[in-house]
Amino acid sequence: MATAVHLDGITKRFPGVVANDDVDLAVERGTVHALLGENGAGKTTLMNVLYGLYEPTSGRVLVDEEVRSFDSPRDAIDAGVGMIHQHFMLVDPMTVTENITLGNEPRKWGGLAVDRAAAREAVVELSDRYGFDVDPDARVEDISVGEQQRVEILKALYRGADVLILDEPTAVLTPQEVEELFGVLEELTAQGKTIIFITHKLGEAMRAADDITVLRDGRNVGSVKADETTREDLAELMVGREVLLDVDRPPAETGDVVASVSNVVVDDDRGVRAVDDVSFDVRAGEVFGIAGVDGNGQSELVEALTGLRRPQHGRIEFLGDDVTTDSRRQRIEEGMAYIPEDRQERGLVMDFDLTENALLGSQHSKEFGPNGRIDWPATRAHAEAIIDEYDVRPPDADAISESLSGGNQQKFIVGREFERDPELVVASHPTRGVDVGSIEFIHERLLELRQQGVAILLVSSKLEEVQGLSDRLGVIYEGEFIDVVDPDETTEEELGLLMAGEHPDEDDADVSTDATESGSAEAATGGDRT
Amino acid sequence: MSVGDRARDVLARLADASATERILISTAALLLSILVGAVLVLVAGRMTACTPNEAVYYFGTGFCYDPILVFDRLFLGALGDPLSGGWSPDGQFSVTLRETTLLIFAGLSVALAFRAGIFNIGTQGQMVVGALATAVAVLWGATLVSGVLGTVVLVPFGILVGAVFGGLYGAIPGLLKAYADANEVITTIMLNFIATGVTLYLVSGVFKDPESAANQTVPLPEYAQFPTVLFGGRQDFSLVALFFGLLAIAGLYYLLEHTAFGYDVRTSGIQPEAAEYSGVDAPRTVVASLTLSGALGGVAGAMYVMMILGTFQTGVPSYGFDGITVSILAGNNPLGVGIAALLFGVLKSGTTVVQFATDVPPQLVGVLRGLIILFVAMPEFFRLVGKRITDTGSRAVATDGGRPEPAAGSAGTSGDDGGESDE
Repeated sequence: MATAVHLDGITKRFPGVVANDDVDLAVERGTVHALLGENGAGKTTLMNVLYGLYEPTSGRVLVDEEVRSFDSPRDAIDAGVGMIHQHFMLVDPMTVTENITLGNEPRKWGGLAVDRAAAREAVVELSDRYGFDVDPDARVEDISVGEQQRVEILKALYRGADVLILDEPTAVLTPQEVEELFGVLEELTAQGKTIIFITHKLGEAMRAADDITVLRDGRNVGSVKADETTREDLAELMVGREVLLDVDRPPAETGDVVASVSNVVVDDDRGVRAVDDVSFDVRAGEVFGIAGVDGNGQSELVEALTGLRRPQHGRIEFLGDDVTTDSRRQRIEEGMAYIPEDRQERGLVMDFDLTENALLGSQHSKEFGPNGRIDWPATRAHAEAIIDEYDVRPPDADAISESLSGGNQQKFIVGREFERDPELVVASHPTRGVDVGSIEFIHERLLELRQQGVAILLVSSKLEEVQGLSDRLGVIYEGEFIDVVDPDETTEEELGLLMAGEHPDEDDADVSTDATESGSAEAATGGDRT
Repeated sequence: MSVGDRARDVLARLADASATERILISTAALLLSILVGAVLVLVAGRMTACTPNEAVYYFGTGFCYDPILVFDRLFLGALGDPLSGGWSPDGQFSVTLRETTLLIFAGLSVALAFRAGIFNIGTQGQMVVGALATAVAVLWGATLVSGVLGTVVLVPFGILVGAVFGGLYGAIPGLLKAYADANEVITTIMLNFIATGVTLYLVSGVFKDPESAANQTVPLPEYAQFPTVLFGGRQDFSLVALFFGLLAIAGLYYLLEHTAFGYDVRTSGIQPEAAEYSGVDAPRTVVASLTLSGALGGVAGAMYVMMILGTFQTGVPSYGFDGITVSILAGNNPLGVGIAALLFGVLKSGTTVVQFATDVPPQLVGVLRGLIILFVAMPEFFRLVGKRITDTGSRAVATDGGRPEPAAGSAGTSGDDGGESDE
């Protein structure tokens, strides 16, 4: 079989970082090739090189056994390489046909007008050929995420792509949609297309790919055939050692309710309802987990709890007081620590050094900002203590945050928030994009705090993380709690179904008592809702 | 390596330049701008007709304008000829310091807003409002106290009134931005026109000096103006005012770097989401920064009335707009504002000296001034651009991962860079 894509010794350097180090990759025509690796292994960088978004520092890109140099995605598309990004690049109010043909519309009247009929016909013909089920006249905003993804694939095919790169295509899909996607990939390869798909999920690589290449720390650590390997082997390749997938979690000794959320309704930035009537309690000494596919209202729920977003309805109590209208600063002062989902937007000021970042959130505290004057020596000592305790590298309080790797940035944030001596820790995706060593470290610290009687709300889209760490687990789907379960009594498959919005057992009496513990609060706020 | 990559590399290196390197770059830029300016003067001189004995001769060719004389007048002239004996503090040097003083306040006003991420183009308007308020309030106060006591009371009082009214005028775009999401660039520009219009109306009506043909207030009595210390009074300069300016520089530096409010302002300026996360009340910070920025502009107005003019008159010079240039030149750093204001002051005052001493047309002197500012500001501009580019570059990596390069390697490269620029 012929090689469709050959990357030969690709090295990509950024200031201070080697994202790809002498990576070789050969992809056979008509196969699905999984590019497997942890977040931060350099998968996306490598594919951005292939797609012409980055110019490699050294190395050659061969498409159809011809050396190519792509200055832009346009060159890559011309050579038959298409990429479907994690975040879709679709125009929501436009129809499927318009989106697919955008920029390459068939013309009529000597190029003066778009030939809509021909465009529609081309789209129908294309989706029939690959067995895609999309309505060419539907508006993109009205179709499901899975369908939007198929539109993206059609867009690339319409532009003549022979090689399709899919960046984490399953991240936004429900398990059922994932199955459909894999069906689509099979159909595409059957017709001679070549697929490269980026993933950090072992199971998906095994399930969908013919060949798997594992990247670790920017290096190719092995290319294997999917049917000649095991999950354990792949896991070892990914992390470089055997992984302990089980977290040792002693039984919880729960205390009083620390935070209580009742009947909270939150709208997102566009005014669309993101969280719809969610209630739960977090007690001292327990980890309450929230599991769900990204974008089901977790971010808005967390922002409402931490004071970054005002809920439309409902009540939030913290340490027995109503804090629904308290500002973010008041909540910090009351003892709420928050590891934000987006560390580079919110968690750290990228241009500040670590000393300045150690102050973030404490600038008005008695300890570091008495009488409005900042105590820089104390702040610096605090930064050094965090760096030391949480093994932040480089160990330099003057280092600009931006120069740190993602894992070290995260460790610094985690350290800063844990050292606030909090009553409640809201940890939103605390290990996203963090290397394995740091993940274990952060998990251990979280459980330590739990042992000390701190209440912890853990939001994560990593199933094994929420399942392994939580004492109780709420599953969120389209802004509602589908169920609150005991993670130790629930299988991954059951959780998967719940995350897809399917309730297996409607008469689970245990759930309703758990989820709406504060019945009176519900009755009080219930009238507000329309 | 493509051209784009090479440009990116240069920008990245510029973004990483140390403080010493930046001073070296600025100095080199200044010298380069003089060199280019000299060529322009020669070319312009070659294209003008003059008698042979008026011309200067370089390389055996006659030129009508002498670049050495022009730059000598522009710089040394502005300093009151310190090298040629007979230097008096009450000469051109006073003019330079006078301009510098006003530019310090205007520059600080713009710089503070910039640090909060707000582009305050309204310093001019805030200055005009502060100036009229000061004039009216001090005229009223002058009826109550006089003599030395009058000076001691009225000068601080006038500054306070200027600050309050400038501050209130700055609070308007602040409130509009914070609570009505109105773009401050638009509102401050419009408020500049309103300030000019309303003060013209007032000063040609209720506050008009009946004895004067011009649209101005009654002149302030001598004791209600800045006292002249050491420098004599011929050039309307007061060392006291400059002292206030230096105090303002130190104060603003302390405010930004050592107070919680300053931390809030700086964080809001570079990363509003992180500021919000840390508990900063964004609308309040916007209003507070623009109020303070307006207050500094208002003080510039108070100085203009109490030190230079001795009255309020329509047609206030555009110190507020010069303040934008000063602030950008200074990288929005309060300490840098002092130096940038001095350079700007020298250029402003030197321009008049050049016009007295040579036949060079004022337009050409304007071009020379522009060249100097452009050359000195450009590296700083490209540094900011470079920062933005390398920011997005490395941020993509950070989400995307990769592994840090050995520290020794990167330290080695930066050391090499330092060596190159030293040579």
